[in-house]
Amino acid sequence: MQGQQLSPVSRDRLICQMPKCYTAESCLQYKTHFDAQVKSACQQRHAGNFGLKMSKVVMVGDLYVGKTSLINRFCKNAFDRDYKATIGVDFEIERFEILGIPYNLQIWDTAGQEKFKCIASAYYRGAQVIITAFDLSDIQTLEHTKHWLQDALKENEPDTCSVFLVGTKKDTLSEAECERTERDALKFAVEMKAEYWSVSAKTGENVKDFFFRVASLAFEQSMKKELEKNGHSATQIGAGNLIQLEGNPSETKENDVQHNMNCC
Amino acid sequence: MEIEVELEALLGQQGAVENKMLSLQRMGPNLQLIEGDAQQLSGMITFTCNLAENVSSKVRQLDLAKSRLYQAIQRADDILDLKFCMDGVQSALKNEEYEQAAAHIHRYLCLDKSVIELSRQGKEGSMIDANLQHLQEAEKQLKVLVGEKFDAATKAGDLPQVERFFKIFPLLGLHEEGISKFSAYLCQQIAKKAEENLNLALGSESSERRATLLFADTLTLLFEGIARIVETHQPILETYYGPGRLYMLIKHLQSECDRQMEKVVDKFIQQRDYQRKFQRVQSCIMRSSSSEKIEPRDLDPILAEVTLMSARTELYLRFIKRRITSDFEVGDSMASEEIKQEHQQNLDKLLKHCLLSRSMQELIGYYITMEEYYMRESVNKAVAMDTCERGQLISSMVDDVFYIVKKCIGRALSSSSIDCLCAMINLSTTMMESDFREVLCNKLRMGFPATTLQDIQRGVTSAVSIVHSSLQQGKFDTKGIESNDEAKMSFLVSLNNVEVCSENIMTLKKNLENDCRKLFSQDFGGDQAKAKIDSCLSDMASVSNKFRDLLQEGLGELNSTAVKPQVKPWINVFLSVSHNIEEEEFNDYEANDPWVQQFIVNLEQLMAEFKAGLSSIIYENLTSLLTSLIALELEKVVLKSTFSRLGGLQFDKELRSLIAYLTTVTTWTIRDKFARLSQMATILNLERVTEILDYWGPNSGPLTWRLTPAEVRQVLALRIDFRSEDIKRLRL
Repeated sequence: MQGQQLSPVSRDRLICQMPKCYTAESCLQYKTHFDAQVKSACQQRHAGNFGLKMSKVVMVGDLYVGKTSLINRFCKNAFDRDYKATIGVDFEIERFEILGIPYNLQIWDTAGQEKFKCIASAYYRGAQVIITAFDLSDIQTLEHTKHWLQDALKENEPDTCSVFLVGTKKDTLSEAECERTERDALKFAVEMKAEYWSVSAKTGENVKDFFFRVASLAFEQSMKKELEKNGHSATQIGAGNLIQLEGNPSETKENDVQHNMNCC
Repeated sequence: MEIEVELEALLGQQGAVENKMLSLQRMGPNLQLIEGDAQQLSGMITFTCNLAENVSSKVRQLDLAKSRLYQAIQRADDILDLKFCMDGVQSALKNEEYEQAAAHIHRYLCLDKSVIELSRQGKEGSMIDANLQHLQEAEKQLKVLVGEKFDAATKAGDLPQVERFFKIFPLLGLHEEGISKFSAYLCQQIAKKAEENLNLALGSESSERRATLLFADTLTLLFEGIARIVETHQPILETYYGPGRLYMLIKHLQSECDRQMEKVVDKFIQQRDYQRKFQRVQSCIMRSSSSEKIEPRDLDPILAEVTLMSARTELYLRFIKRRITSDFEVGDSMASEEIKQEHQQNLDKLLKHCLLSRSMQELIGYYITMEEYYMRESVNKAVAMDTCERGQLISSMVDDVFYIVKKCIGRALSSSSIDCLCAMINLSTTMMESDFREVLCNKLRMGFPATTLQDIQRGVTSAVSIVHSSLQQGKFDTKGIESNDEAKMSFLVSLNNVEVCSENIMTLKKNLENDCRKLFSQDFGGDQAKAKIDSCLSDMASVSNKFRDLLQEGLGELNSTAVKPQVKPWINVFLSVSHNIEEEEFNDYEANDPWVQQFIVNLEQLMAEFKAGLSSIIYENLTSLLTSLIALELEKVVLKSTFSRLGGLQFDKELRSLIAYLTTVTTWTIRDKFARLSQMATILNLERVTEILDYWGPNSGPLTWRLTPAEVRQVLALRIDFRSEDIKRLRL
């Protein structure tokens, strides 16, 4: 682990620009740039001051929709047609460098089979990102995403998770079919407050873009949270003087006058 | 000028230059001599070189001739061998000397194909052709024969014969067939033994000592049997088939292991009602109706058995992994990276996707749910039965809950399955973070009852508050006092509980880290497993922090509801004690202390209760909050009072006794918190206004002023005998 962390992040995992969303109809945020505050904080405190950032991503969805394939395509750039069901949970750490700050995604790949659900659901807690996957060619799996999401959200504190809805196996559909399914999926996504993506692990279409988007949004969110926390405590410590100086100058004067009066 | 200097320097060098020229001229003839010598040398070297070349070329030719000769001999030998083989095979087959025959065939198979071609082209071509035909026929015949003989030996259960023919297969180039036939034989043995064991197990009395672990033990026997087989037959395999073949053998054995394991697990599920118990637990979780709840303690045996089964499985899989890995290492020492990787992948697939692994995962999946139920129910019980003995700082539930959590995680750990352990750690963390923390949170939320009755006992409060309190509480009955006392104790105990919880979680985490290190040092799980565990354990640390936050919240609450409303009036008494005093009153104060002694006594009484009821760390925290509060409030009342010269002295005395007292009850230094008040006392003790300048600015020495110039003026103005013009005139 340590050796891994010391070696530099590979070149194709550098992110300097906020990646675009898949469709504006259902996305977590519309901005095309990183938050200005986050950006300046990253520039000021180039690496160093931050500990290694890490976010937990949990992947859920029916069996055989291709959760493991999607992760393997991104993490190992491999696609194996041989289908072997995931047992319990698998786990990958993917290292990024975003705006010059090292950042890790911990991707937990859960089993879709009902019989492994007990063990898989124990891993939902503390997730910052929940990816619900479904098979574009199997509309049933889309309908099940709601349950999967519910189960995963139940183990987490409300409003702490970003949700993504991902349609897989895009290569198996014609363009027209894909569009039709996407329309249905978008409705689900809006309802689930999720960002929608269509991908293919076989051809690799959109896979990298998707995970970059996940990483960037998760990174921005955790940076914002940290800034908020620091900013909050800073105002507490700095207290009076600063605020008075920035505030109405006449008021400050009045205060001084009062002090003088007391002295007299 | 410069040029002249330079010229002079150059002229100065003239002597040296001339000297050099002379020596050069002297060297001339020597150089010619050297040239001649060199030419001679070169001629000699060329000559020697040619000579050497001549000699060595002859040697080279000789060498070539020699190697050709060797080749010729080799060929001749081969052809002779071939003949020998042809003759030998027949007689060996006739005499049933299969090893001999196989050795001949092996020799034949090892021969270069070109040799056979060569011998065919010879004079006796047709005869050799016929002989070759014979040989090939003999090969086929032998293959069939060995196969049949092997099968017969297998049927007869004749191990020496089985091993005898097993050794012959590789000589005929039938490695895979040999291994598959041999492993079929071994599988037969395994199946027979396993069936015996299972029947024995099913027939055993339920009163036996290990009856509750019957199926785990049966499974263990199965694994041990396979391990023993691998141990005994690996040497033969290695010697006759070469390294790198163990994977193939074990792969065959594993399929039998899967079959036998399935039978045991099926029986286990059937006899122990595993599925049904799981379903009942599940419905208990869903409905949470108390009527048909399963007693968690009843689950103990089955949970223990499942984890033992898992542990044995992990141990067995680790054994296989080690054996195959080291066998591959020897076999693949010359192989390419790709082949090595392929072998590794095959091994991983075998380990991860064999039925055994999958079945265990399934069992563990059910186990997790039941273990979670066990934990939650036991924790609920512990919470419901919570008691606190008088004199104890914490209540029973904290110890109970952590005992339960430790037990459940310990049981998950004993399964040796990293996934199982991580899942249980996560579930425990969730339980502690939400459910159990909520319990403590609710207790704290009930608050520390405002202590009105105590005030009466101490005779400090005014009549108004007595009326107020009697209105609030209805009557002055002892019951009220008791329940009030109980509520107080409950609050303090809860605070202690929260602190101990936070500590316990960290201890638990540390212990788990040690346990996991042990597990990893025994080669269970890889880097990935470590990362999984790390992630789950770091989550646990953050929960400990949440308890710490809760403690701070509770302390803040205690400070604002119990301490502050009491202490504030006591400090306000200061206002009613005049500090604008003359000699006589000062002396009177000396004899009958007007404020500070009573204040200290009150504080002592107030804190005595907390000191007895809180752990030392929390008490420390509380006194720290108390001292801050006193410093803040006292400053306020001082600024509202007026002082004479002696009044200032009086205040200085009072402050000193107060600080002296507070120093005895805290271990942290409190001087810092009282720095502003001490400086105020200094100012109030001045003889003249201008004396402040002896302490201010460049004269401050080691003293760091905590008061702003405006505040200094404000404090100076409290002295009635100081004229405001003097204060105004001060340059600070």
